[in-house]
Amino acid sequence: MAQIDIRNVQKFFGQHQVLKNLNLTIEDGEFVVMLGQSGGGKTTALRAIAGLETVTSGKILINGTEVQDRKAADRDIAFVFQSFSLYPHMTVRENIAFPLRAVRMNAADRDKAVSEVAETLQIAEHLNRKPSALSGGDMQRVAIGRALVRRPQALLMDEPLGVLDAKLREQMRAEIKRLHIARGSTSVYVTHDQIEAMSLADRIVILHDGVLQQVGPPDEVYLHPTNLFVAKFVGSPVMNVNAVRLEGNSVVINGASQGFHFPDQMLGHARSTAGEMTLGVRPEAVLLSHQPSDGFVEAVTTNIEPLGSHDIVDVRLGDTVLRARTESAFVSGEGQKVWARIDPSQAHFFDTATGLNLRGAN
Amino acid sequence: MASQVMTNLDPKSRAAAKGLSDLTIRNLFIIPTIAFLIIFNIFPLLYSLAYSFTDFRASTNAPANFVGLQNYRDLLSDPFIWKNFSITAKYVLISVTGQVLVGFGLAMLLNRSIPAKGLITTLLLLPMMLSMAVVGLFWKLLYDPNFGIINYFLGLDKFEWLADPDVALYAIAIVDIWMWAPFVMLLSLAGLSAVPKHLYEAAEIDRASGIYTFFRITLPLVAPILMIAIIFRTMEAFKTFDLAYVLSSQPTTELIAIRLYKMAFQEWQTGMSSAFAYIVLIMVVAITNIYVKYLNKVKAR
Repeated sequence: MAQIDIRNVQKFFGQHQVLKNLNLTIEDGEFVVMLGQSGGGKTTALRAIAGLETVTSGKILINGTEVQDRKAADRDIAFVFQSFSLYPHMTVRENIAFPLRAVRMNAADRDKAVSEVAETLQIAEHLNRKPSALSGGDMQRVAIGRALVRRPQALLMDEPLGVLDAKLREQMRAEIKRLHIARGSTSVYVTHDQIEAMSLADRIVILHDGVLQQVGPPDEVYLHPTNLFVAKFVGSPVMNVNAVRLEGNSVVINGASQGFHFPDQMLGHARSTAGEMTLGVRPEAVLLSHQPSDGFVEAVTTNIEPLGSHDIVDVRLGDTVLRARTESAFVSGEGQKVWARIDPSQAHFFDTATGLNLRGAN
Repeated sequence: MASQVMTNLDPKSRAAAKGLSDLTIRNLFIIPTIAFLIIFNIFPLLYSLAYSFTDFRASTNAPANFVGLQNYRDLLSDPFIWKNFSITAKYVLISVTGQVLVGFGLAMLLNRSIPAKGLITTLLLLPMMLSMAVVGLFWKLLYDPNFGIINYFLGLDKFEWLADPDVALYAIAIVDIWMWAPFVMLLSLAGLSAVPKHLYEAAEIDRASGIYTFFRITLPLVAPILMIAIIFRTMEAFKTFDLAYVLSSQPTTELIAIRLYKMAFQEWQTGMSSAFAYIVLIMVVAITNIYVKYLNKVKAR
């Protein structure tokens, strides 16, 4: 197992810069998830670590050894592809054994390693079948088995669950986590699915436009987004983001008639900026009430999404809409009059121009 | 049932205005082809089968006598005919092996991003588009011991490519390889470009060497289409006539097709040569069947 260091890595495809001065250290045994939109550079970063892509400049170190000029085969890293990339003409057993045969391991050790991995991944009964005869989940298990069988320095996964259906994805997610804990392998995982990222990662790395936005444990990324991109990208349903202005101790959403009252100490950082400001509040920080009370602002419900465990309720304030998370059946229908409040401790103020979190409210 | 499968004629079309049904139109298109096939393929096939049991000679007016299996018995016990078969087998082996090695090698070289790839591919395909007889005639000039360019470049002085009985067959095979390796190349190139890139990436990650990847990934995945190329080339090589006939008339280059031609149109043994043609046909079908069996096995993997 290994530590991976990415230092000042730049990558150009022609004129287009895909990675912009990337710096990241992945600790030994850590599970790091790279999260971002497609085209954000996360897959390129992963392929660069694997050696499937060269870097234009910068260094990549595995266990302190510079590997950026080495071929993939010489980096001792395993890679799970989104498309599985199983060898179609080989049986499952041959597929898993391939990395061992390629380095001429003797047959006895090879068979032992293959059955051990097959056992762990619960694919032992499929060993003599062709990949085309397997379900998507089993194909991915085989792909992971092929990656793990030779005990690589690190395991890289490029959206490995991307082509599976939702239910299977959830199940495989749990299995990948279980495997990681059992094996303790250094893992780097690329996804655009923030739920996958939150549930798997020791640390999440958010990439956008080739620039690293934020690195941190899932709760930190969720609770303290460093900028608007992270705030909007992480979390489902999406955070409410509205342009606001301060009127005394009142935070007024542009287009709304009334402001929300915030305690003075929560506004210190927000006051320091002279420019335009954006307020970010997650739906669970928008509190609704059936009775008017202190600090609550009158609003009208416009849309309700009942999700079983909870409801997502859209409320209109003047010209703007806020999404709130309520207990199920809290409001019975559209057009109801309710009162809304924002939890100041869960509100984020961003500089609209730079997108940076002003760190006022938290 | 049949009319349900067919699409109906547009009622506003000109054909409909003339009172034609789509059944009539279908027949108009199909009947000439079927008639042509029956007159020029099926009928001669059956007619020659009948002749193969007679002592008919097309050069005389003597009536054909039924001789049963005598022609087949004579042919299969004739050592000279077996000599022709072994020459042909040797020729097929050399020629097809050469074509596969050269063609697949060229395809491997072309299956990467190189400048002017399209132009190079087109130029490489040119030999395939020439007429066999023309190719035979100008290779005869190239091989010429007195002024041929091949001896000049190889420094072989007056080496007799086509007159030397031991070399002539190889010389013909070289011409065939030159002409038909591009065909194998074309099919191999299609097969190679159909191998997904990510499999090569997976193999690289799995630390497989280039040679290991070639034999364990590339070759098995290209095998079915390569097999089709080999089937085509084997059948064609088995039937080679014009190239060998134009290039050389050594006894060591007398392929079955040449022997058959001589028997039928120089010796006028029509009945005997019909039987000979049937023996060749059965052999070609048998060899092709072996390949097809193997191809299906490869495809099932």
